[in-house]
Amino acid sequence: MSIVYADNNATTQVAPEVVQAMTPYLGEQYFNPSSMYEAARVPAKAIADARATIARLLGGVRPDEILFTSCATESNNAAIFGAVKANPARRHVITTAVEHPAVLNVCKELERDGLEVTFLPVDARGRLDVADLVRALRRETLLVSIMHANNETGVIFPIAEVARITKETDPGIVFHTDATQTVGKLRIDLTGELAHVDMLSFSGHKLHAPKGVGALFIRRGTRCRPFLVGGHQESGRRGGTENVPYIVGLARALELAAETHESTEERIHHLRGHLEAELTARIPLLQVNGGEAERLSNTLNISCHFIEGEGILYQLSEHGICASSGSACTSGSLEPSHVLSAMKVPFTAAHGSVRFSFSRYNTEADVDRILAVFPGIVSNLRRLSPYWDVQRGCPRPEAEHMLRSPDGD
Amino acid sequence: MTWEYTEKTMQLFMDAVHGKPSSHMGEIADPDGFGEHGSIACGDALRFTFRTERDPSDPLRDRIVEARYLTFGCTSAIAASEALCAIIEDKKCSPVEALEITNRDIVDYLGGLPEAKIHCSVMGAEALEAAVFNWAIRRGVDLAALGIDITRQEQDEGRLVCKCFGLSEPYLRRKIRELNLRSITQITNAVKAGGACTSCHHAPGGLQDLLDEAWGKQPTTMVSTPSLPIGPQPAGGEPELSPYQLAKRVEKVLDEDVRPKLQHDGGDLEIVDIKGMLVYCRLQGVCATCAGATSTIKLMVEQALKDRVDERIRVINV
Repeated sequence: MSIVYADNNATTQVAPEVVQAMTPYLGEQYFNPSSMYEAARVPAKAIADARATIARLLGGVRPDEILFTSCATESNNAAIFGAVKANPARRHVITTAVEHPAVLNVCKELERDGLEVTFLPVDARGRLDVADLVRALRRETLLVSIMHANNETGVIFPIAEVARITKETDPGIVFHTDATQTVGKLRIDLTGELAHVDMLSFSGHKLHAPKGVGALFIRRGTRCRPFLVGGHQESGRRGGTENVPYIVGLARALELAAETHESTEERIHHLRGHLEAELTARIPLLQVNGGEAERLSNTLNISCHFIEGEGILYQLSEHGICASSGSACTSGSLEPSHVLSAMKVPFTAAHGSVRFSFSRYNTEADVDRILAVFPGIVSNLRRLSPYWDVQRGCPRPEAEHMLRSPDGD
Repeated sequence: MTWEYTEKTMQLFMDAVHGKPSSHMGEIADPDGFGEHGSIACGDALRFTFRTERDPSDPLRDRIVEARYLTFGCTSAIAASEALCAIIEDKKCSPVEALEITNRDIVDYLGGLPEAKIHCSVMGAEALEAAVFNWAIRRGVDLAALGIDITRQEQDEGRLVCKCFGLSEPYLRRKIRELNLRSITQITNAVKAGGACTSCHHAPGGLQDLLDEAWGKQPTTMVSTPSLPIGPQPAGGEPELSPYQLAKRVEKVLDEDVRPKLQHDGGDLEIVDIKGMLVYCRLQGVCATCAGATSTIKLMVEQALKDRVDERIRVINV
């Protein structure tokens, strides 16, 4: 049975062109780019070219503003801890309640170190209220870190606007965005629309490069101290021998994303729209999380009230379909998704959320395979649920009040 | 995290979702015993019912002949519910004898459960116990006279230790001993306590204290330290006017000079916040959607405020 891979916000298939670009550097071009002999020129040039390509594709920034890292988590750690270290006089950080753990838990770590952190809320549609950011800004704020798009719901935050407001308030505040879900999916223009962004993180494996490589954009003049201290690599801002093949792969992947952007965007948008419309029509009491906000074209996060997500994923897996869930049983914690909780999604739905996320390799046939089995999987589990009335195809009367959000609104 | 379930667990789950005849999915109408455990907020819930063959003379000799469940929960919660029903139907025992079935029996029936899923088996045992107590009331059986402590569920009322899952101190104290739980991780895996916000782990009277009380104090290496919030301070420069006076003046100027002009064109302006000399404004009505007007209006508002309130004022569009 062939696999339907619809979990591209988790990781992506490596593009064959990327593998091809990387191969020489896994073979004969093994030299350390920092070495002095002639042979080392080839990998050194490969890194310089990769840096220039990425700088160009992020809106024509300077190549020396691009730092290579091992993953987006490292980029986020480097950005946040680096900014905190460089600004010891300020002790306040602003982020959101729905960040990826690579930002959220770093900020919680800062709290343990004695800094104060404001976690901005989102509304039921997953959107940020810019006025909340305005009210949170203070004289001792040193960093604002807000993700570009949410990995679970795909909801896009108005980064251009919040970065501008932050920098207009106080140019001394560093503005960082975790763009792991948007680089390769949205056009990133760090000299135009996003000119107020000081730092931007992303990784390779979300855009068809392999795992183990990421990057951090640091605008020239941004106060930030090195996180991984070591040799002189990356102009002394990130020690460690450069991961030549992976850096080459990252640049190639970003090139491919730019080349295919238009056609992919249109096709994926259609695939997601088709899946969403059909599922909504065929399954009673299904809600689309983040569906009323501006969101990534590739992401569909749905909740089937009164059933649990893990059982859905397990059955999807039996049919060769890969997706993910915000249910407590799949998270390693006992709490359902912190993103859906922040959106005050009722418990009846938070535990039953399923995320489908597409890439340029998905096809209409994939969507058909999902549609062929998903409604049946939901009704199988609802038949087992103590809250569902199978005969009437709706919740039991005593369970209806649970459909309200935890706050009762 | 991928699935690490036994063949048996997966088999029972798939049979249940496909409604195989061997499955115990369902609910007995007018049951002889009825018990529930868990809630939708906690992520799993089980409704357990059984039917007995009544002994005409002695209720203690009633035999459980049929058991059914409805479960909201993950793969292993559903499989554990199946296991519970299968074990009981196999035993053909009396409800009182059924109380001897523990969560361990359910785990063994499944051929093991991942540590983090042990709570699924505990849920089964708890629902069974509740159903037997329910049967005793229906049949007028005095379990206390048989030496069974039926008041323990009421005794579980008390101070909440784990607020996320609503678990009380007496309940946790009892479960730590009954299930021989020796660490916070084991408590979380078995009854979920401490599995969400984790704030009860090392709080006074929290999970570690209950463990120490039950098993004696163990040397600890990790102590969580509370965060040290730093109080807010005003932002921006130091105006001669108090912040209140400045805000009043800003409002006055906007009301007199600016808003009438905007309203005349079908727009308006709202002050979101004032920090020191920074005034955050949001345009409304037709102005909000007019890209060209934004910068012009910003300049107009800023100039009016500079002229009439303080020349250091800056306006930021929100």
